[in-house]
Amino acid sequence: METGLLGIGAGIAVGLAAIGTGLAQARIGSAGIGVMAEKPEMIGRVILMVAIPETLVILGFAVASMIIFILGA
Amino acid sequence: MLEPMVKTEIVGLRSTLDSTMACLQRCASVQLLDASSELGLKPAPQAVDEGELGESARLRHLRTRLDALISLGVVPEIPDDRFPVEARLDQVAAELDQLAPAVEPLVTRIDDLEAERSTLPRHVESLRRLAPLVPRLPELEAYETVAILVERRHAAVIGWVRDELAALLDTHFEVISDQVDSDTVGAVLVFPRDRSRRVHALLAERQVSRVHLPDEYRNMSLTSAITSMEQRIADLPVEIEATRAELWELLSFRTHWHAARDNVDRRLAQLDALHNIGTTERAFAAIGWVPQRHLDELADALRSDVVGEVLLTTREAAPDEPVPILLTNPGPARPFELFVGMLALPRYGTFDPTVLMAIVMPFFFGLMLGDIAYGLILFGLTTWVRRRWGSRSAVVADLSRVLSIGAVWAVIWGVVFGEVLGDLGHRLIGLEPLWIDRQEAIGPLLLLAVGIGAAHIFLGLGLGMWNALRTSDRHLLGERAALLVALSALFAMAGVAAERLPRGVMTPSVVAVVVALAVLIALEWPLGLVMGPLDLIGAISNVLSYLRIAAIGLASVFLARVANELGAAAPLALGIVIAALFHSLNLVLGTFSPTIQALRLHYVEFFDKFYEPGGEPFAPFGASLAAEPEVAAPAPVLIETD
Repeated sequence: METGLLGIGAGIAVGLAAIGTGLAQARIGSAGIGVMAEKPEMIGRVILMVAIPETLVILGFAVASMIIFILGA
Repeated sequence: MLEPMVKTEIVGLRSTLDSTMACLQRCASVQLLDASSELGLKPAPQAVDEGELGESARLRHLRTRLDALISLGVVPEIPDDRFPVEARLDQVAAELDQLAPAVEPLVTRIDDLEAERSTLPRHVESLRRLAPLVPRLPELEAYETVAILVERRHAAVIGWVRDELAALLDTHFEVISDQVDSDTVGAVLVFPRDRSRRVHALLAERQVSRVHLPDEYRNMSLTSAITSMEQRIADLPVEIEATRAELWELLSFRTHWHAARDNVDRRLAQLDALHNIGTTERAFAAIGWVPQRHLDELADALRSDVVGEVLLTTREAAPDEPVPILLTNPGPARPFELFVGMLALPRYGTFDPTVLMAIVMPFFFGLMLGDIAYGLILFGLTTWVRRRWGSRSAVVADLSRVLSIGAVWAVIWGVVFGEVLGDLGHRLIGLEPLWIDRQEAIGPLLLLAVGIGAAHIFLGLGLGMWNALRTSDRHLLGERAALLVALSALFAMAGVAAERLPRGVMTPSVVAVVVALAVLIALEWPLGLVMGPLDLIGAISNVLSYLRIAAIGLASVFLARVANELGAAAPLALGIVIAALFHSLNLVLGTFSPTIQALRLHYVEFFDKFYEPGGEPFAPFGASLAAEPEVAAPAPVLIETD
């Protein structure tokens, strides 16, 4: 039971973070495509901007890992 | 690294200006600056004479005419060794004038025929849909036929048209309508020709769209029009080819026009560049940036090409003057200049990270993909792509080289992790990992990723300190040093908590963190009260961001495992197909995602610590033109032909 709850907690940690990242990337990505349509040379900046929210899901992954490896140990 | 640039000044007699410009254009190693404003001289075009300005306009007109004829595709491009560039532009202009009366009608004819070829099938299609409505409609001389096609949801329009025609023509008309396909309803209206104007006015007034036919088919019956159009469609290709053949006879031997167009481009570039040249009554002066290693070559070229005295000297640049950027890195690192340039070029005098990127980025890529089979397949594919298309596109060549190096690292890490198509190597031949089993030892993998991240961030902070020392920026130096100390102390504290370091390390580590934080706050006081801790938290999150290396790697290996499980669950042949499909998908994802993530780790986490963007690319005069012809063209002379 306790292992199951830990798993659910880890899933929520990474899942909610992924949703947050997805929402942010959706908006940045659509704006970025608009920028690239007019200025293709901005591709580097666009990749950078799109990639920035991914830190959220990586932090979610870090929390999920800690739940499993520290609390679950 | 950034190529050292030298600011140079070229001074000579006005009589040598043309030959000097031609020499600079051929060398393509000088980015010209506006010498007229910097030295307080008159710009060359105004100083020379109005004939130069007139020449520019006439050359642009000639260029447009040449482009228009060459774009017809009937002037073969023959290499220069068969037709050396000796075409004088005045001769070419005269040829164009002489040929224009014969060529223009042919070109117009081809355009008309092509337009007819593209529109007639649409008319036939419309008429075919209407044909079933009037299977036996006689060809009545005194009656006119009008066809209407409307969307099914607007079918009521046809009833309305019937009512309006009844009011207008009493019983002297016929409307035949039916559904011609799932979305369209068609109608054919037949009415006396002498009422034609009123009926058309009514339809136009009510905005009812009719099926318009070309004039020559307008008085034909429906079936006759379809037959005639189909015959015409069959005849058109022959007619177009015949007209093209006439055009070919006129133009096919004018192969020297390609060389003439290059000549025009060269001369136009020279005339444009004259805007940057400063002149006096008898002399001219040009100023520009030259890569240091090309300075001697340029001096030699001027000495040999220019008849007369030309003086090349170096000038002191102003301290804040922008210097163009030319990246010159060793061969293996050169493809990575693409990625540095994608973000923004570094400012002159700062650090060019291309070589570091060339070392670290493929390492990260390989660590994420980490599979012997995937690495070998990717290496083969990228090598094939480079050989096939690399010569046509520099970007394709660079990208394939980057991925090839990444693929080699993927093989190396695949050996370390003991992975061939995920766990297939272990299942089939009992392959064991050399160091870490990614599927089991997830904790050590995460620690490895964080450790690599810390090393990369420390390297970035160290480079930031070096940059700050070079530019004597004490504020930046203090900030980077404080972050370095704080991060090191935090890692030491983590080491004590994990019982990997002695307890005695804890107190000095806490003190170091407090002192570093105080420095960060003091450097930006009073804003530092907020920004200082935020900077430290940002640096910690930067290190944690490298966990993505482990996360992407885990996703890749588990997807490979899923492919193997699914393949094993099905019969042998089907299982191989399923596994191959999933592994192909995994390879695509495993190529795309690590590339983006490795780029992001560089752009966001690493470059942020030291990188100073803002450089403009080096754009030498003459670089955008084709190579100089084997036989040097005489100074072009254009006669007035209009």
